[in-house]
Amino acid sequence: MQEFLQLVVSGISTGAIFASLALALVLIYNAMGLVNFAQGEMAMFATFIAYTLVNAGMSFWIAFPVTMVLAFGGGILIQRVVIRPVERAPVLTLVIITLGLATLVNGVAGFLWGYVPRSFASPFSPDSVDLGGVFVSYRDLGVIAVSGLVLLAIYLLLQHTTVGLTLRAAAHHPEASRLLGVHVSWMLALGWGLASAVGAVSGMMVAPILLLEPNMMQTIIIYAFAAAVLGGIESPLGAVVGGLLVGVTVNLAGAYIPNAGDLQLAFGLGIIILVLILKPNGLFGRAATRRV
Amino acid sequence: MTALLELENVRAGYGSTSVLHGVSLSVLEGQVVSLLGANGAGKTTTLRAITGGVRWTGDIRFAGRSLRRTGTEDVVRRGIAHVPEGRGICTELTVDENLKLGSHLRRDKAEVAKDYDRVFEYFPVLKERRRLSASTLSGGEQQMLALARALLMRPRLMLLDEPSLGLAPMVVRSIFEIIRSINQTSNVAVLLVEQNARIALDLSSSAYVLEVGRVAVHGASAELQDNESVRRSYLGY
Repeated sequence: MQEFLQLVVSGISTGAIFASLALALVLIYNAMGLVNFAQGEMAMFATFIAYTLVNAGMSFWIAFPVTMVLAFGGGILIQRVVIRPVERAPVLTLVIITLGLATLVNGVAGFLWGYVPRSFASPFSPDSVDLGGVFVSYRDLGVIAVSGLVLLAIYLLLQHTTVGLTLRAAAHHPEASRLLGVHVSWMLALGWGLASAVGAVSGMMVAPILLLEPNMMQTIIIYAFAAAVLGGIESPLGAVVGGLLVGVTVNLAGAYIPNAGDLQLAFGLGIIILVLILKPNGLFGRAATRRV
Repeated sequence: MTALLELENVRAGYGSTSVLHGVSLSVLEGQVVSLLGANGAGKTTTLRAITGGVRWTGDIRFAGRSLRRTGTEDVVRRGIAHVPEGRGICTELTVDENLKLGSHLRRDKAEVAKDYDRVFEYFPVLKERRRLSASTLSGGEQQMLALARALLMRPRLMLLDEPSLGLAPMVVRSIFEIIRSINQTSNVAVLLVEQNARIALDLSSSAYVLEVGRVAVHGASAELQDNESVRRSYLGY
């Protein structure tokens, strides 16, 4: 039982990382009706920036918000320069463009920092704390706390501020929003900025667990896709719940199914396929209906 | 009185299909003007041209300034509330959030609060359903929400595209009463597109009848109502 609870807690910790990246996917899905295949690579790139800042002597807790701000600006820049000119293009064009963007960001990171994996020091103590017989590492708790705070901040921004309201309106009802004076194009850029910043959090949280290298996010993004699809690709709350469920599931499966370590990624893909077959709208998604 | 809105020889269309072939009309400050005509005459396109939803040539002036090369968002910010065909309700959002989108650009908090009170006086049902998703509202309630939201923008001009569409006659009557009251108490000018010519002419002081993208008839609403040949050939009653 104790082992089970420990696995659940570390699963939640992993899940919080998936949740951040899944939320980034959902934010952009809402802004342009398409997942951003470059989301993981953008997160990786931001993590390299954090790594560079920390190596230059900056404390992690200063580098963390600085990186988020830079990622935010970078997300807006990418939307303005790369996405906006093709806003009205067919979906396939946009898919190819975000795939191209992923390759480009990956290549630039490789060019700047090389492909040798680097260790990224965790900002949390390696010790564990005894919570009623269940040993929980500070690292897991730290990841849960940091991701939780960021997700809470995004939630408050979206649901309880005017900017958040106009952002949601612009994403779901661009035509109607324009008639209400909402600068829709800038709201979409803001969505990209937020997604990029949230994604950066997932990168900075996962880097100490994995090793930092340009391909670091390529497995994480599969889990994030699984989380976003499980939650219902349009729902920010769904992305978070989906992320936690995927994290816990993958962690338990890895521990209890013999030799399942090699199959963990297959679990992620399995979740995507199962959800798409059994409940295509996910846990929190609305049925895709169209008024005639 | 000077014209609040002036269209001068406006041509507009979608791609290579032109819909408006030189429409000129004007709306005075505080005036209600009907824009009538058959399906496809260009009524909706005229409204869309004003708020920049479709490319146009000629000139459109609002409060003395041309709207040429002005994006929809900025036209609206100058004081035009456009309730489009299909009402433009954000069904993903709650009733309250839809209303907030109407007032989100305003900084005069005290006046906004007053306008909310007025809106809920006109449409008590919206107050009851504030927290519900706008998608749960009936057609008539959605029309009320669209009007309420437009009112909260505190515009100088409202463009209303077929407010009677799909509503029961009773509901239509009460909505038109409220439009009249909004016009009279806040001195908001209204450019009203309607299929239902009778009720539109009752409300407006002046009217234009469009026929395939041109103004076929223009005159005081009362005159048009009394002119049997106009009524028969253009208004169908």
